[in-house]
Amino acid sequence: MKTIFIAFDQAHYDHIVEMLERSNCRGFTSWQDVRGRGSVDGEPHYGSHAWPSESCAILTVVEDSRVAGVLERLRALDMERPKLGLRAFVWNVEQSI
Amino acid sequence: MSLYGSAVKRPIMTTLCFVAVVIMGLFSLNTLPIDLYPDIETNTLMVMTTYTGASAADIEQNVTRPLENVLNSVSDLKHITSKSRENISVITLEFEYGEDIDVLTNDVRDKLDMVSSMLPDDAETPIIFKFSTDMIPIILLSVKADESMPGLYKILDDAVANPLARVSGVGSVSISGAPKREIHVYVDPARLEAYGLSVEQIGSLIGAENRNIPGGSFDIGSDTYSLRVQGEFKNSEDMANIVVGSSGGRNVYLRDVARIDDSLEERTQETFNDGERGAMIVVQKQSGANSVEISNKVLKMLPTLQKRLPSDVQLGIIADTSDNIRNTIASLVETVLYALLFVVIVVFFFLGRWRATLIITITIPISLIASFIYLAATGNTLNIVSLSALSISIGMVVDDAIVVLENVTTHIERGSDPKQAAVHGTNEVAVSVVASTLTLIAVFFPLTLVTGMTGVLFRQLGWMVTIMMIISTVCALSLTPMLCSLLLRRQNSHGKFYTLFFTPINRGLDAFDNGYARLLTFVVGHKMLTFIVCIGIFVGSLFLMKGVGTEFFPTNDDGRMRVSLELPIGSRVETAKDAASRLAREWREKYPEIMVLNYTTGTASSDNTFASLSDNGPHIISMNVRLTDPGDRDRKITEIAELMRRDIKERYPEFKKAQVSVGGMSGMGGQATLDYEIYGYDFAETDSTAQLMKKMLEKIPGTADVIISRADYQPEYQVDFDREKLAMYGLNLSTAANALRNRINGQLASQFREDGEEYDIKVMYAPEYRTSIEDIENILIYNAAGKGVRIKDVGEVVERFTPPTIERKDRERIVTVSTVVQDVPMSQIVEAASAEIEKLDIPQGVSIQLAGSYEDQQDSFKDLLTLAVLIVILVYIVMAAQFESYTYPAIIMTSLLFAFSGVFIILWLSGHTLNVMSMIGAIMLIGIVVKNGIVLIDYISLNRERGMSIRRSVIDGGRSRLRPVVMTTLTTILGMVPMAVGTGQGAEMWRPMGTAVIGGLTFSTILTLLFVPMLYCVFAHQGVKRQRKAHARELAKNK
Repeated sequence: MKTIFIAFDQAHYDHIVEMLERSNCRGFTSWQDVRGRGSVDGEPHYGSHAWPSESCAILTVVEDSRVAGVLERLRALDMERPKLGLRAFVWNVEQSI
Repeated sequence: MSLYGSAVKRPIMTTLCFVAVVIMGLFSLNTLPIDLYPDIETNTLMVMTTYTGASAADIEQNVTRPLENVLNSVSDLKHITSKSRENISVITLEFEYGEDIDVLTNDVRDKLDMVSSMLPDDAETPIIFKFSTDMIPIILLSVKADESMPGLYKILDDAVANPLARVSGVGSVSISGAPKREIHVYVDPARLEAYGLSVEQIGSLIGAENRNIPGGSFDIGSDTYSLRVQGEFKNSEDMANIVVGSSGGRNVYLRDVARIDDSLEERTQETFNDGERGAMIVVQKQSGANSVEISNKVLKMLPTLQKRLPSDVQLGIIADTSDNIRNTIASLVETVLYALLFVVIVVFFFLGRWRATLIITITIPISLIASFIYLAATGNTLNIVSLSALSISIGMVVDDAIVVLENVTTHIERGSDPKQAAVHGTNEVAVSVVASTLTLIAVFFPLTLVTGMTGVLFRQLGWMVTIMMIISTVCALSLTPMLCSLLLRRQNSHGKFYTLFFTPINRGLDAFDNGYARLLTFVVGHKMLTFIVCIGIFVGSLFLMKGVGTEFFPTNDDGRMRVSLELPIGSRVETAKDAASRLAREWREKYPEIMVLNYTTGTASSDNTFASLSDNGPHIISMNVRLTDPGDRDRKITEIAELMRRDIKERYPEFKKAQVSVGGMSGMGGQATLDYEIYGYDFAETDSTAQLMKKMLEKIPGTADVIISRADYQPEYQVDFDREKLAMYGLNLSTAANALRNRINGQLASQFREDGEEYDIKVMYAPEYRTSIEDIENILIYNAAGKGVRIKDVGEVVERFTPPTIERKDRERIVTVSTVVQDVPMSQIVEAASAEIEKLDIPQGVSIQLAGSYEDQQDSFKDLLTLAVLIVILVYIVMAAQFESYTYPAIIMTSLLFAFSGVFIILWLSGHTLNVMSMIGAIMLIGIVVKNGIVLIDYISLNRERGMSIRRSVIDGGRSRLRPVVMTTLTTILGMVPMAVGTGQGAEMWRPMGTAVIGGLTFSTILTLLFVPMLYCVFAHQGVKRQRKAHARELAKNK
């Protein structure tokens, strides 16, 4: 089991939920209206007067075999709309109930 | 969920909500009546009291003064003016605006009840009249007649006036110029004396004979019959056979001492239409009824009515106010449509995409149509004010939608889907959209609070614009994002047409942006120079203020004129008729623009209220002139009026007084007048001052028709009774005076009934026995003992002069010297006249005050200036709240200076004056102009928050906000252009307002784009310096 953390511009939300569905990943947890900034470039998402756009975050725990596919699709989505901003990070799940 | 969130999610609901609003709006539009002005609630009451036979001085003393003293205590009274004329006292009560006139009417009625016992016995009960725009006649019909002339009144009353009065909405129909039937019993004084009879006896005998008396009922067998004496005269000739006395054992019949004359009233008003004798029918509407609808109904009925009339009686139309209303409204509707077209073109030009243009322009009809619901709900009409509110708003209602659309497009371009972009894009700008709407509401809402005359006009404007702004904001936050989510595409493919047409436009706009950026770089680099140049321009424009004259309202060309002419007092009516017919003939030939020319002369009978309210008399001629529509002639109405004034002055010296007034019957929009009120009790002193004033005013260029309100002294005969002698013969003054009156004016003996109509029977001396002073002196009066005494034995007949009309204002005698302002601003004449008045030698106890349009203008200007200050404060508050800063709003407010410069410059260049309309334009500018500043400063401070340097923030911000600023400014300016250049009917009224807005907005936008960024730089640098200093101090402290 792996955890995928996806942080992205809120405009991506519908696409990503749909993508997870298509990838047979049923479970996820999401946060609306989160703030953040990319490490390299891209606009900050602060929800402020200067930087009004806001981000969303999704945490999903998937089978190891599905990780590659999910990341692949996410990369395609990011390439399609590079200005919006989309990042994903994967780590191990040690235990669960 | 937010408004825009649910709107995007539920497009069908959103669409249908707006469809419902549009349907309701269109339904309301369908029911909206058309009128010229909003219903101006009346603030004037008139109290009219007739006291037949009394002279002006008697009326003043016995009727007007007691009434005035009591009425003066009614609350909220502004002015009380009165006119005491022969036979009648007219008191006008002017109240403060905005009071409930019904309550005031009741107050006045109560006071009148209190005083009625103090009035002379013969004075009739005072009548209260309420005045509002509803009282203005909507149609004047002319009637030409030949053989039917003697019976014209009855013919018209039966066949025209009664059917017209039955039309729903018609208030009253009155006939003037057609004399009524009256039966005169002309007695021969010599025969009366011979038989020992008096006029009073004959009068009471006729009254006693002309009776129907029921005698009760009685039973015959099993039936009950009623008993009745039918003694009323069947025929006026029957009267001749009544027995009035006996002499030498033989009966004396009425025919022995008098002749019966069944004819018309002796002294009446005569009306001439296009040179022919006839009558005039005045149609007034009921309060609240729609004039256009009524006039349509009346006009439709005319052919049917015409058929019922004898062949020689011809009906025609002198004036139809609805005509003017229809034309004015039509020209304003045209203006609104042009404004719509211009705005659509501008939006399309800047956006280059038809989908975007559609999304934005759809807010225009929705906001405009929604405002009709307000009009219908509050019972208002579609009038000049409401329509121009539409015209003003067209350019402004799109602004919010443009801001939303622009931001949504940015999101889409960044890669969002239209649906997401619509929600998030709107979310980002929602607050600033609402704030910018609030600034506009801060301007227009206070308009609803203005008091006075201007308040009545602009209340509706304030409400309409406020409502349209709110609707447009709601639209921009719901419909616009919804449409964006449906209509906008991520990938824009452009057709051939687009490439061909918009490539050069885009290139041009880019070059424009770059050029502005370069200019801004220069400005930011030369702050001092920019400051000096801008302030120099502002100060320079203040000097132009002197060159721009002021007036109250612009003169309106509605093709109607009223001319009142006066011959020397005492002239016979024949002289007046002759002069008037010559003048009418000359004018008809000289001015082909004249469509109808009708005039009335003579004394109005006391029961014709419409006629007796205006000046009338055998020497007074009042003329109605109707010109062709302004579009169909080259000469303006003011030019024709000027030529007419010259004609009268040069070729008709017989007219002692002449007044040509432009603008028909509506109070507003006529040529402005200046009234100098001269207060003082002594007639001789005030008269000489008035003469001096008249001469002085005539010398000042730009004045015309200088008129002294007090008419000339009327020669009259007075009988000075000797009370001792009267007492000796057992008489008193009132018996003697009444006897005199019964013989000359006539005694109302009874009523003659025929075909359901009643006609007065009057007993008086035959005309041939009342033509000289001897006839008066020989009048025989009988005392209680039946002994006859001649007037000359108890009194003396002397000739004296009395002023025919005594005018009072606020319980003081007054003379008004008034002048029409012709072709020059009113302020010029006021200045010149004030300087001259200083030099005048005014007797003690006499004071001069300025009133008329000038007083109204001063009042309105004061109201509007207070309003402007209030609005500036409100706008500042809204902006300070939005920016959370005291400095930024102040910087933005500087653009107002240039807006006012622009107004003065354009008024000076175009030759318009500063009047109420252009002031309203300037006030509107406060809201429109600061909007540009808000957009600019908002973006510049955003850039700074993003970490740019001050200089770069300003240049970059200016460059990227240039297009939205220019675009919204252009939509507003072009929306106003049709108003500013309009030539239709009523356009004179709105031209100064459109011009002022265009000038102020253009000028201030150009300067704002340079001055505001420069000021921002200065203040931002100061802020940074302060921060650095504080930081340095802290560092030093830490060390």
